[in-house]
Amino acid sequence: MAEDSFLHLARPLGPVSVGTAPTTAPLNVVIQPQAIFSILDHSLRRNADQERVIGTLLGTRSEDGGEVEVRSAFAVGHSEAEDQVEVDMEYHKQMLALHLKANPREVLVGWYATASELNTFSALIQNFYSGQGDGTWPHPAVHLTVSTEAGKDLETRAYISAPVGVTAERAADSAAFIPVPYELRYGEADKSGLETIANAKDSEERSTSVMSDVEALERAIEEVLAMIDRVSRYVESVIDEEAPASTAMGQFLLNTLALAPKVEPADIERDFNNHIQDVLVVSYLANTIRTQMELSNRLATAQLTLGGGDATGTSGEGNQRNQRGGKGGRQQRQERTATEETRA
Amino acid sequence: MAEAQAPLAAVKVEALVVMKIIKHCSQTFPTAATGSLVGMDVEGTLEVTNSFPFPVVEMPTESHFDNAAPNPAAAAPRAKSNVAYQAEMLRMIREVNIDANNAGWYTSANMGNFVNMNVIENQFFYQKELNERTVALVHDVSRSAQGSLSLRAFRLSAKFMEAFKDNKFNSEELQKSNLRHQDIFEELPVEIHNSHLITSFIHQLQCPAAAPTDLPVSLSALETSSFSKSTTLTPNFDNLSLSIDPFLEKNCDLLLDSIEAHNTEVNNYQYYQRVLGREQQKINNWKQKRAQENATRATLKQPLLPEDEWQRLFKLPTEPSRLESMLNTRQVEQFSRQVDSFVSATTGKMFAAKGNLLPGETAK
Repeated sequence: MAEDSFLHLARPLGPVSVGTAPTTAPLNVVIQPQAIFSILDHSLRRNADQERVIGTLLGTRSEDGGEVEVRSAFAVGHSEAEDQVEVDMEYHKQMLALHLKANPREVLVGWYATASELNTFSALIQNFYSGQGDGTWPHPAVHLTVSTEAGKDLETRAYISAPVGVTAERAADSAAFIPVPYELRYGEADKSGLETIANAKDSEERSTSVMSDVEALERAIEEVLAMIDRVSRYVESVIDEEAPASTAMGQFLLNTLALAPKVEPADIERDFNNHIQDVLVVSYLANTIRTQMELSNRLATAQLTLGGGDATGTSGEGNQRNQRGGKGGRQQRQERTATEETRA
Repeated sequence: MAEAQAPLAAVKVEALVVMKIIKHCSQTFPTAATGSLVGMDVEGTLEVTNSFPFPVVEMPTESHFDNAAPNPAAAAPRAKSNVAYQAEMLRMIREVNIDANNAGWYTSANMGNFVNMNVIENQFFYQKELNERTVALVHDVSRSAQGSLSLRAFRLSAKFMEAFKDNKFNSEELQKSNLRHQDIFEELPVEIHNSHLITSFIHQLQCPAAAPTDLPVSLSALETSSFSKSTTLTPNFDNLSLSIDPFLEKNCDLLLDSIEAHNTEVNNYQYYQRVLGREQQKINNWKQKRAQENATRATLKQPLLPEDEWQRLFKLPTEPSRLESMLNTRQVEQFSRQVDSFVSATTGKMFAAKGNLLPGETAK
């Protein structure tokens, strides 16, 4: 990702209608990965003759308007010719309405294009998105460019705009784009998903299967081992005076090492035994319950094959009752373990 | 299509769909979230290429969920308004070159508690009404929070579809069809697929600017540097965590609920059998009485009374459906598998932790 540093400048304001005061506060853009993925997907599905595609960004705005979080995006059809641009506004409006129905908390925050270039058409579209009425007014509309040129790095930029132009006609198709800082952020919940997706990044067919618990554990352990390896290699090379030493680094490593807890062996032994017993008991019980239920269902559906009538009916019932008694006992035990766990 | 198609063998999910589902499900957690999947069927592999969430509709509780808590989101996929919503959405996304074929639907789950009537009815609705080749993707939010993504694809088996259509779930029919709880769902392997752009995007995420880095000047500089921030794809060590109690507790709760449900079903069934026995007793009595009466009438040379009138006079109770208990068993199986897989990982972790803290012990 581009490591740019930013200086916040108050952007010039356009003609203000009385009563609404647009803010000039600095703006920070947060992008969630699913929005980027949507944009990339759209870019793949563009028509062969299209250089870039555009779409609408949706998300949330913090209360003071200082942070915009882009959560999702949808594609909007458009066509560009030498001297004119057509954006399917009807489509945008309908799609926006549909989207808001399912995500009532998200609002329109701006638009994206899949080329880093900014031109007159960009200004035109930007003015539409930031305009009053359908646009994001009085908040600035965010314009996100994600370059998807083959063979080059993906470059993401975020902009807001300020109106420029001498006359009203000129102002309609021009805008001063001001770059704003952005940040890619994902939540706890996305982490496991992204990890799985990232698994596929080195494979030829770009796909992977969902891991089981044990496989995931194995991977995590391997990663930790690799990290420890890397660190110890670094430390060794410092000791051998091959790499420059750094006090800060040493201090950091020392702090990390100090995190290892110091516990009495007896305590560990006790905790360990308690926990491992809990785990195994629950596993045992879960499987017992499963077997019992299956047995009960089998008996219930099998009893009539024995000839039908009252005799088998009662025996089947007796069977079930027995089972229920057994289960009742087990259930109590189960409850006991559950409470034990709550205590633990 | 006229020619016989190969049955669906696998599901290939685009990374975009994975992220969208995760976002939607975790946003609404712990209430269930549902949405629609679109994609294409390529030679037995269902490629899911996009998805969109369903709006939550307030709907009157339908009569056949008499005891279930009203859960508008769970029933959303087959609500009337959502069928319209889906059609509208498909029409819209077709215009921007997205594969606008229905490929199924997704739902969120909490600790694998997804085997219930809602899921069955939704999937039945999809497989019957819309398109036979559809899947239900189940994303387990709480299991994913533990470190490894849990995303599974299910279909109703043909056998179950057949039985569900005619509601053949009494003992006799079940014997005939030999339908068991294992046969309700077919699980399809899920594969996650990235587009080229996403692959390159992820590569870029993981190795940010390859500029040579200077050694940090102080500890605080190190802590505030971009490397210790978690904005880039840090390795995920959630599954190394040793907290096992919440998981086991939750599972125990769910298991207890299942046992309760099972007991209710068994009681229902016993009640049915008692009533059936009583009615049969009554019928037998009546038949005997009628036979005696007819015998006396025969000796008196009077016309005989009909012997099959009991069919009108007595009504045999209908047998309760075994579907609920079948589903319950399937659910318990799901729980116990889940516990098993958890235990296998946890015991390993625990022995490792012990060995680490007590180095002397393991050497012995």
